[in-house]
Amino acid sequence: MADQEHSQVESLYRRIGRRDLLRLWGRPGLTALALGALGASLVGRAGRHRLSAPSQVPPPPDWRVQTDPALAAAAGNGPAANLHRAVGALGGIARFIRKGETVLVKPNCGWDRMPEQAANTNPELVAEIVRMCLAAGARRVTVADNTCQDPVRCFRRSGIGQAARQAGARVVHQGIGGAASLDLGGTVLGVWSVLKVLAEADRVINVPIVKQHSLAVATLGMKNWLGVLLGSRARLHQRIHQSVAELGAALRPTLTVVDATRILTAGGPTGGSLSLVRKADAVAVSTDPVAADAWGAEQLRLSPMALPYLAVAERLGLGTPNWRSVSRKA
Amino acid sequence: MRATARHLRIASQAAFLLAFLALVWLLAEPRVRGEVTSILLAIDPLTSVGTILGDWTVPRWAWIGLIILALTAFAGRFFCGWVCPLGTLQQLVSRVASPRRRLLLERNRYRRWFATKYMILAILLVSAALGSLHTGWLDPIALLHRTMASAVRPFWHGGVSPGGWISFAMVATILLLSAWMPRFFCRALCPLGALLGLFARLAPIGIRRDEAACNDCKLCLIPCQGADEPLGEHRVSECHLCLNCLYSCPENGLGFGVRAQPATGVREPALDVGRRRFLLTTVAAVAVTPVLRAAGGGLQARSADAIRPPGALGEGTFLARCITCGACVAACPTGALLPDLGRTGVDGLFTPVLVPRRGWCEPSCTRCGEVCPTGAIAEVTAKAKQAINGPAEVTIGTAFVDRGRCLPWAMDTPCIVCEEMCPTSPKAVWLQDVEAVKRDGSKVRLQRPHLQPELCTGCGLCENRCPVGELAAIRVSSVGESRDPQNRLLQQSGLAVR
Repeated sequence: MADQEHSQVESLYRRIGRRDLLRLWGRPGLTALALGALGASLVGRAGRHRLSAPSQVPPPPDWRVQTDPALAAAAGNGPAANLHRAVGALGGIARFIRKGETVLVKPNCGWDRMPEQAANTNPELVAEIVRMCLAAGARRVTVADNTCQDPVRCFRRSGIGQAARQAGARVVHQGIGGAASLDLGGTVLGVWSVLKVLAEADRVINVPIVKQHSLAVATLGMKNWLGVLLGSRARLHQRIHQSVAELGAALRPTLTVVDATRILTAGGPTGGSLSLVRKADAVAVSTDPVAADAWGAEQLRLSPMALPYLAVAERLGLGTPNWRSVSRKA
Repeated sequence: MRATARHLRIASQAAFLLAFLALVWLLAEPRVRGEVTSILLAIDPLTSVGTILGDWTVPRWAWIGLIILALTAFAGRFFCGWVCPLGTLQQLVSRVASPRRRLLLERNRYRRWFATKYMILAILLVSAALGSLHTGWLDPIALLHRTMASAVRPFWHGGVSPGGWISFAMVATILLLSAWMPRFFCRALCPLGALLGLFARLAPIGIRRDEAACNDCKLCLIPCQGADEPLGEHRVSECHLCLNCLYSCPENGLGFGVRAQPATGVREPALDVGRRRFLLTTVAAVAVTPVLRAAGGGLQARSADAIRPPGALGEGTFLARCITCGACVAACPTGALLPDLGRTGVDGLFTPVLVPRRGWCEPSCTRCGEVCPTGAIAEVTAKAKQAINGPAEVTIGTAFVDRGRCLPWAMDTPCIVCEEMCPTSPKAVWLQDVEAVKRDGSKVRLQRPHLQPELCTGCGLCENRCPVGELAAIRVSSVGESRDPQNRLLQQSGLAVR
């Protein structure tokens, strides 16, 4: 019996069909082929080496509508009315913001401070800019800043978050909204990670507040661009004037709105004590960022020449520190 | 004695073991090309699969590992029985330490828990795919190599390190366990064996049994290295192809050849890994991998003394590529590198770090990158490492003068050793002449060291030679390393990726 079974098995061994043969050699064969293909396609590949040069980082877009330098300032009637008068003197917001465009409004919202402490841009002014842009037909207005302290606290305490949202804007900071890479060029900048809304906006309105600053002398419009940068921007302070001027060269806003409703005269850029704040109730709007900062410097009772970066910016051809020469009557 | 295939196997094992040991010593021998000295590391299939999953690349010689994997799909785990030096050492130990017990039938039966190794493999491959390559913790090739490089070799050359000792303890435990059960590690734990076992299941060639001749005497189970039970349901995934069974069969019923299985024949038994258990293991690995990474502070908060060898890739890619084999550790001529324990977190366990108090990075030496089998340390030129006539292209850190400990700064005692040693040109360490008034009112002329950071390469020669004992008065930290554009202190053109 056992012998019979054995011989049956033996005969089965001998009669291996084509199908069995294929099953027997096909699976390891295909496996070897797959491994060979994988190896051949990957051998010597650099891998996702994160230091390799990024492929083609774009420069920032030019957000200007009018390159002709002009500045209008208004004072005495509160931030909203001052803004309307100044913008009106430049021809109205419709000259700058067109129907369907997306607008980024960049206030200085760096600190966990109340509006009265003058460390952040005035919230009413920010809200009024948002309403103006929406009235001009903007598809979407975003208010964004990479704050120096906790962004939730900064946007809440400054009043900018609530005011902007009520006016119809979206609020974005470093914690939400994502990042994009831009090639800012220059001699000290290069490729930077920035707030994604900056790279996506059709128009950009820069809204700094006038403050004293220990290193930059004053922080105004061009210094305010540090707030769109992500990454370790603290290193920019090693060559602050060159860096700020080059930021001004890379980022050309549609308008610069300088908030001098309250001015932080000392202890900037954070301030704190109300004794450091002076009320000026003034707003300037300019198509020339150099003129805008020069006007802001004078609100601090400084000569524009006291700001070394303005001289660099003028050399780079970004505008004129002689703001009176481009001033329009508001 | 008649030469048999088994003798051939033993000869092969001996040759690979000796070559493996010899190459550990040749790592530091500049006359032998670096990539040759690490070739046995690069042919490890687990390394090939790990770097494919982790970094989607097959570095340098690692394609050989894939060929071994393909051959395994035809002929089974010959690597385990014929090549693996840790398997050979275990066989030697069990032969010497337990000559009788190793031949107990009970010791060499298959056990369900041998499937643990497949779970270990699943965990390691999942974490590799998530960017944390930990295969080297248990991969027998990497583990034994690291032990040789950082614990055994230093017996002669000095510089044993805690990471080396832990690796040594792991190997010692494995060898001791093999005295209790032959090849315990291979059977139950080895992730490389598990990987090869999966592919061996496809093999048409292997041990074949002549059912007509077999009388179920079970003698073939006794010398079996893999505990794969050549009798009956032969577990090909466990078979090391040691061929001992061939020579134990009194009926000559076992042979090596095409394992033709007729339709009615014996089927390959399933792996003892349930679907549910496999799924749970995988999910657990997915959950735990990021926790392990974060446990060391993550990539954003590395410790300052986590100085990587020159040419090391960015930390994320580095951790996806380094198999912790210790080749660089043995290759470093100054003994500056050691397998890390703590500086780089859980994720960086056993990865190489440079400790300037032990040694420095010799400016003209590029050996660590030359021997690295996976390219975790990229090859750089000596010129790129040297700051001659200006800053170096490849830097590993920056030195800082500790004015509270420095002799001329804090003790008004003349010393210029760091400046004297500084190999960059112009020197990154420069001296300022000052006249100081001492406690007794006498005046002393001093030269106080300052550092110009853009010229410093972080080589650590200053820290290594600083006469202030234990904590040197000039110390290197990783800031300024060229591999990480975020880990900078100075503003420079293109300070982000450019």
